[in-house]
Amino acid sequence: MSYLELSGLQKRYRDAVAVDDVSLSVEKGEAVALLGPSGCGKTTTLRMLAGLVDPDRGAIRLDGAEVTRLPAHKRNMGYVFQSYALFPHLSVARNVGFGLEERRVAKAEIARRVVEALAMVRLSGLDQRRPRELSGGQQQRVALARSLVIRPSVLLLDESLSNLDAKLRDTMRHEIRSIQRSLGITTLFVTHDQVEALTMCDRIAVMHRGRIAQIGSPEDIYERPATRFVAEFVGRANALPATRDAEGRVVLWGERLPVAAPAGGEFDLFVRPQRIRILPISEPVADGMARVTGKVLRSVFVGDHVEVLVEGAAGQIQVELQSGTALPQEGAEVALVWRARDTLPFPRETA
Amino acid sequence: MSDARLKWLLLPAGLFVLAVYAWPTLGLFRNAFNETGPTGAMVETWSLKTTAEVLADSFTFELTLNSLWLSLSATLLALALSYPVALFLFRTNSRFRGLLAVVAIMPMLISGVVRVFGWLAILGDRGLVNSLAQSFGLITAPMKLVFNWTGVTIGLAESIMPYMILALLAGFGQLDRTLEEASRSLGATPMRTFLRVTLPLSLPALALAAGLGFVLSMSAYITPKLLGGGRVFVLATEIFEQATTNTNWPVASVLAIYTLVLLLLLLAASNLAARGLKR
Ligand SMILES: Nc1ncnc2c1ncn2[C@@H]1O[C@H](COP(=O)(O)OP(=O)(O)O)[C@@H](O)[C@H]1O
Ligand SMILES: [Mg+2]
Repeated sequence: MSYLELSGLQKRYRDAVAVDDVSLSVEKGEAVALLGPSGCGKTTTLRMLAGLVDPDRGAIRLDGAEVTRLPAHKRNMGYVFQSYALFPHLSVARNVGFGLEERRVAKAEIARRVVEALAMVRLSGLDQRRPRELSGGQQQRVALARSLVIRPSVLLLDESLSNLDAKLRDTMRHEIRSIQRSLGITTLFVTHDQVEALTMCDRIAVMHRGRIAQIGSPEDIYERPATRFVAEFVGRANALPATRDAEGRVVLWGERLPVAAPAGGEFDLFVRPQRIRILPISEPVADGMARVTGKVLRSVFVGDHVEVLVEGAAGQIQVELQSGTALPQEGAEVALVWRARDTLPFPRETA
Repeated sequence: MSDARLKWLLLPAGLFVLAVYAWPTLGLFRNAFNETGPTGAMVETWSLKTTAEVLADSFTFELTLNSLWLSLSATLLALALSYPVALFLFRTNSRFRGLLAVVAIMPMLISGVVRVFGWLAILGDRGLVNSLAQSFGLITAPMKLVFNWTGVTIGLAESIMPYMILALLAGFGQLDRTLEEASRSLGATPMRTFLRVTLPLSLPALALAAGLGFVLSMSAYITPKLLGGGRVFVLATEIFEQATTNTNWPVASVLAIYTLVLLLLLLAASNLAARGLKR
């Protein structure tokens, strides 16, 4: 049995199902991201873990013991709130020491551990400040220190970086990850930002409408999305309406592709823009490659890469090239080529 | 509209205040320097004789203590009752929140006189409380709950509660559910969370409400007069007595100004205290 087990968690509100059915196993020391669009039930899941919301169904087990109905103050979960929730009437040091004071830790020991925790988040010397005298990034660090100093069984982070500017977010991402690694602390990281999920976690659970759509390593999720939703939500992808010919083979833009079609119904092919190469139309292709032709509509330079839009017989395909490669001429007829196994067929959504 | 022209919007209210407030207040100050002649008629003059007499009178001192004590106990009682109600209203997600808030401040809409008769029906010798207590055999003779300080304190507390609830709701700015959740997730029991987070963050609101309740209690006249049954003497009742029954305008004016100064001093003190709290 894993260190942390969520099984069949459900939470309904009067007019909505916030969490429908969430089961998840987390190993000790592992960092797992709950990734999903806003409103899919991430925060509610985290709050059930922290004991701030009672689940209607399901169970939570921590280190072998059932904690489903345990009140929040007995759970020893380190919750970092999206708004940081620092106590405005207490100094930074008292904020960080709050959990230790509640645990009746000796004064000297509290002082020592607070200093240590503040050093860990690189805030030494600010201990007598009030939260409102700190920048957003510093407040975030205090919140993190306050949750870490109690040596929580699980660290719960709710969209903790979303209020920071892009640059700071990048720094904090790496800092939190390295602290998490060095302490070996089991962590659940809620985010709607895929880059955060991909870079900060050992595994990702993609959530969709109160359920977990797929759990896997960042690579799994990106390379082998289990559902159409995951393919659309994580990374970018061209969704290309395709058909079957008489022999049941996949046809896109009038060309047969060496790709297996999903059973029954209409379907789309998902191809990531970075996986497609642009070749002269005369160039032959090897086995196991998919190939269609089209005309270059335009190229846009985006800094670290170039986005090329190609129009074909039945739609458009976006291609992402590394900058520095020769740009295709606008209006040129080209061949688009990618490995057949980079093609992900999903049934068309009927919703 | 430019700022210069904007100020004309204040003109009607300004004239109104001038007519019904500033003018009579000036009259009050003028009367305070007059004297009362041997016949009881007012003698127009400019002297501090009336002021000196009123301040030297030990009855003034007694009235002051009575007023302060009554206002303090009514305010504290009302605060203890209003705080939980305001906390509830502040937090509830109930659909009926708006309705509940209206119910809580409803007493404001009822005339003070009507309220007093309500209290007589509840607290009187044959009122609700005494009949219930007697029928349960808790007491043999009725308790004296009205026409004394007890009745006035209860009635006054009730009459200022709606104002205090509104003041509390307005002052709960810093209070945030998430902070209480943070406290609990850090290991604080609900009780400890209340003491360490909720209460400290409510202090500005409590100070605001207490100040308001105190001022309202100091100036309350109907409740001490009617529920006091002639046995409760405070500054407000005495001012009324002097102005109407005795038609002693100079003494009434001096007492009124004295009360005003007292309140201003208390307000200044509580302002200082509140600034200290915020720090
Ligand atoms: N206290 C609540 N009362 C009613 N509905 C709620 C409550 N909390 C969450 N919900 C609803 O549950 C759904 C999931 O919310 P949440 O867990 O906050 O999603 P996320 O964190 O993924 O954005 C949303 O539709 C939200 O409106
Ligand atoms: Mg959320």
